[in-house]
Amino acid sequence: MNLPKIASISRKILVACVGLFLLVFLLVHMGINLCLLRPDDGEWYSIACNFMGTNYIIKVFEVVLFAALIAHIIITVALQIQNWKARPVRYHQPSKSKTSAMSKTMIWTGGLVFVFLALHFVNFYFVKLGLVEGKYMIQTEHALSSSELQAKYMAYTQGKLSPEEMATFQTEMEAVQGLMIKAESEGLYSDDMKWIRNLSAEDVKPVEGIVEGIEPDFYNMAFELFGNKVYSVIYLILFVALAFHLIHAMQSAFQTLGLNHNKYNKFIEGFSWVYAIIIALGFAAVPVYIMFFV
Amino acid sequence: MNFTLKIWRQENAKAKGRFETYKVENISSDCSFLEMLDILNESLISNKIAHPVCFDNDCREGICGMCGLYINGRPHGNDDGVTTCQLHMRKFKDGETIWIEPWRAKAFPVIRDLVVDRTAYDKIIQAGGYVSVSTGGVPDANSILVSKDKADKAMDAAECIGCGACVAACKNASAMLFVSAKVSHLALLPQGKVEAANRVQKMVEKMDELGFGNCTNTYACEAECPKLIKRSNIARLNREWICARVGKEK
Repeated sequence: MNLPKIASISRKILVACVGLFLLVFLLVHMGINLCLLRPDDGEWYSIACNFMGTNYIIKVFEVVLFAALIAHIIITVALQIQNWKARPVRYHQPSKSKTSAMSKTMIWTGGLVFVFLALHFVNFYFVKLGLVEGKYMIQTEHALSSSELQAKYMAYTQGKLSPEEMATFQTEMEAVQGLMIKAESEGLYSDDMKWIRNLSAEDVKPVEGIVEGIEPDFYNMAFELFGNKVYSVIYLILFVALAFHLIHAMQSAFQTLGLNHNKYNKFIEGFSWVYAIIIALGFAAVPVYIMFFV
Repeated sequence: MNFTLKIWRQENAKAKGRFETYKVENISSDCSFLEMLDILNESLISNKIAHPVCFDNDCREGICGMCGLYINGRPHGNDDGVTTCQLHMRKFKDGETIWIEPWRAKAFPVIRDLVVDRTAYDKIIQAGGYVSVSTGGVPDANSILVSKDKADKAMDAAECIGCGACVAACKNASAMLFVSAKVSHLALLPQGKVEAANRVQKMVEKMDELGFGNCTNTYACEAECPKLIKRSNIARLNREWICARVGKEK
């Protein structure tokens, strides 16, 4: 993995810029996660997920985010391989130079964060992409008033449907009614009645293509996942790796961008520690809450 | 004082090296590390035990940058801000086992025993670490104004003696502290500023070409530099690089 035409410092600057962007993203993600802890039966959380899943600016940023993440991984791995090659014969004695453990283990903590991301994608993000089955939710108003269904209903009342169309319409209506009955009998409505939640893949299959706005139900998926103590502990361990990575990441990015000044160095270092710990604690809050308080 | 030495022995650049164990006895605590090696070599020669241990050295005053040994996991040993020649045996415990290795880096190949080839540093300097025209003799005090702050920073950076401890200490064998010191001491002064943009690009390109690693801001270089060159120089190098690239004319 050689990128010969880009100078070492340029590559590092790219890694730093992308890293700072990812740091900001983590703050946004953490903010949404913390909505889970509000005792509002997931109202805020669902709104946030809905916004993130449907807003066009966010959709553009989703592409930018993945490009950034992939660039960050590819460039850092390429740099690391060069770094290993730069010392073909290792020292016999381990280094006793005064350095921080975080700065020396970035590639390994980064690797653990990658493992975390892979696990996290399988648990959550792939459900959104339809690669893995999870839990789903539908906005109640969508379920009741799909524009296509309404148009068909109008045609039906005016007797304009052909016998085949009548048959399909009836099956579709039955499917939607079936969903509503299930929601009613099993109490799947959210407190504010805006959402029918906790639906399985089998539940939503009959209404796919009929009802608009079927979304992954991350709220119930999170509660189910973190109800499993093994998963919670794995997530918590990986958050520690993330904190280690971020403590060095931010101050290192500033240095790479040339932002080093005697007056502000202490502040930048302190801010990196505080930011990393807040992010890690913020993310850890959800599994800890579900593990011990639900 | 008595010591057990584990020294890297290697016949030549291509030979396979190994650690050899030697014992030195009755060493004065005021002895420098290199003097202790001299005593060992004298005994190796007079007792016809082995070829003397080769190591680089010159001024033995801590200002030439020739000496440099990786001692017990630290370049220039377990003292801060000193070169190997200024390291004294009183910094060690009596009876201690001392591991002595050469600088390890692809860009600094071993020539023999503890001697490495540091031509790579010269090549970086040749790529641009100079002012192209003669700046003449000492100018009148106030003909070119330099602020005290910049003069101090330039002098601090110019203290670099090019010993290679930064590369030896860095887990990536990166030469960024050396290059940054050379770039800084010229870029901070009016005579060097003229060619600063060109210089930084040429020196960094040469550094990359020679097979040094990339800086990951671990700062082992700063911790081990015998001249206490600061990491702020690396940030300045990065700034100089960004400015040079952004302002580059095609």
